[in-house]
Amino acid sequence: MPPGLDQLKHIVVLMMENRSFDHMLGSLSAVDPRIDGITTQLSNPDTTGAQIKPQPLANFQGQLNPDPDHHFPAVDLQIFGGDTSAGRAANMQGFVKSYFNQRRDVKHSQMIMYYFPQEKLPVLTKLALEFAVFNRWFASIPGPTICNRAFAHYGTSFGRVDMNPFDVMEPFKSIYSRLLKANHTAKIYYYDTTSSTMEVVNLLQNQPQLFGTYKQFKSDCDKGLLPEYSFIEPNYNDHDTDSGEEVANDQHPDHDVQAGEFLIAEVYMHIRRNKKLWPNTALLVLYDEHGGIYDHVTPPACTADKFSAPANSTGTGMEFKFDRLGVRVPAILISAWIPPNTVVDRVFDHASIPATVNKFFIGDDPQRSPRELNADVFIEPNAGTLDAKRNLLSLATMRDDCPVFDI
Amino acid sequence: MDVIHVPRPPRKAINLDRQANALIMAQVSHLQHAERRLPLKYRTEIYTHAIQTEGEAAEYIREVTEAVHKAHADAAKRRSRRGLEIAAAAEPQKRKRAVKSKKKSSRTSKRKVVRNAKTTKKSQR
Repeated sequence: MPPGLDQLKHIVVLMMENRSFDHMLGSLSAVDPRIDGITTQLSNPDTTGAQIKPQPLANFQGQLNPDPDHHFPAVDLQIFGGDTSAGRAANMQGFVKSYFNQRRDVKHSQMIMYYFPQEKLPVLTKLALEFAVFNRWFASIPGPTICNRAFAHYGTSFGRVDMNPFDVMEPFKSIYSRLLKANHTAKIYYYDTTSSTMEVVNLLQNQPQLFGTYKQFKSDCDKGLLPEYSFIEPNYNDHDTDSGEEVANDQHPDHDVQAGEFLIAEVYMHIRRNKKLWPNTALLVLYDEHGGIYDHVTPPACTADKFSAPANSTGTGMEFKFDRLGVRVPAILISAWIPPNTVVDRVFDHASIPATVNKFFIGDDPQRSPRELNADVFIEPNAGTLDAKRNLLSLATMRDDCPVFDI
Repeated sequence: MDVIHVPRPPRKAINLDRQANALIMAQVSHLQHAERRLPLKYRTEIYTHAIQTEGEAAEYIREVTEAVHKAHADAAKRRSRRGLEIAAAAEPQKRKRAVKSKKKSSRTSKRKVVRNAKTTKKSQR
């Protein structure tokens, strides 16, 4: 086996909030044409019929207010451009129209097409260029946060496309329960108790021992106590603490994007600086969904899930069978064994997370959702025959030129 | 190797009076769902319908999250105390049995002494 896979002991996932691929990494197509980002041909019509092109004018804060709608009906409009007919085709032409619905301001609605120039996101863009960037990582469903994050924890959202509490149904257990049952270690690190977790009703309520804080994550890294699988949640709200104010760093509009850059850099550097952890850890940084912000890539169809959302629960009057993915999001895999400028074109969604972790640490298990069973994995299992073309941790020797941030 | 500078967010990025976004309000409703299942002594006195700002939501989120952890921790303490009580309750029974068997064995050994004494006296004749 390649040494990167042989030595891999820890998988860490940091899931940020509500930004699309084009919005955060679209500028990189100018640096590397293999990265499917912004081109001059792209546009969206506004409500006057004018074609609005993406522009590198995104600000860290203050533009996307109100928060762009990213619930199921709004995303349907964004993807299908307002076409609700049977047999309709996705055209990614409804973003400006969708944002106009919130403030009825033509000029303001065009801001949904803004993206960040590379120099404004030194951390995310550097990591994307230095490690493996995924051209085709999509949200699991064309809808909001809670159900998308559910795919990362369970491989399914149990038929939900909304933000309401859902019931976990047998036999689909969380990846954490599966790992613990198989005598492996796993933890969810939320930022602190004031930010808490988005997985309240099932995991926090029933298994609070699964949770630690971000401070504990850093301490666990330093003390050699990092579990085999870690999921990190950013700070979801501005709040006071005994030691001062904490700024929200999830990058959910309208929180400051720079705060999230700092968090990403800090998580990366905490692993990078640790001589014992860095050789045997892979870090996946990604976003839960696009937040209603423009992206040009049409989400593909996928294997239908066991559950479906009935027409009266989707808000569109149409049933949803979880047979197509959500809008594309930034996703980067980081490891000292990944060659620089790696661009991955295979299709992934958040079900790929439990699929990968399950296969790597536990093995194959049929008691998983159809979506997870059919999701691609971003780290090849360290057993059996390896398809070298699929392995991203492919270097024969560890890199000594990985970026360093001043954290 | 060049060290890449990461700008910190400005002080004005923080705004506890910002209107809570839909995600935070959804989190509040999920925590309310959890709070309703907690025993009364763990519940907050916060009226969630009145929450409007991030700062207000943050306070509620913290209280309920910590309450859930506390409720579980208290239950774990009670469980281990019950385990100790059961073990302690079993102790007197063990001691009684031990005392009984000690008495039994001391009577047995006394009989042996008496028997031996008789045997010795016999042999001495």
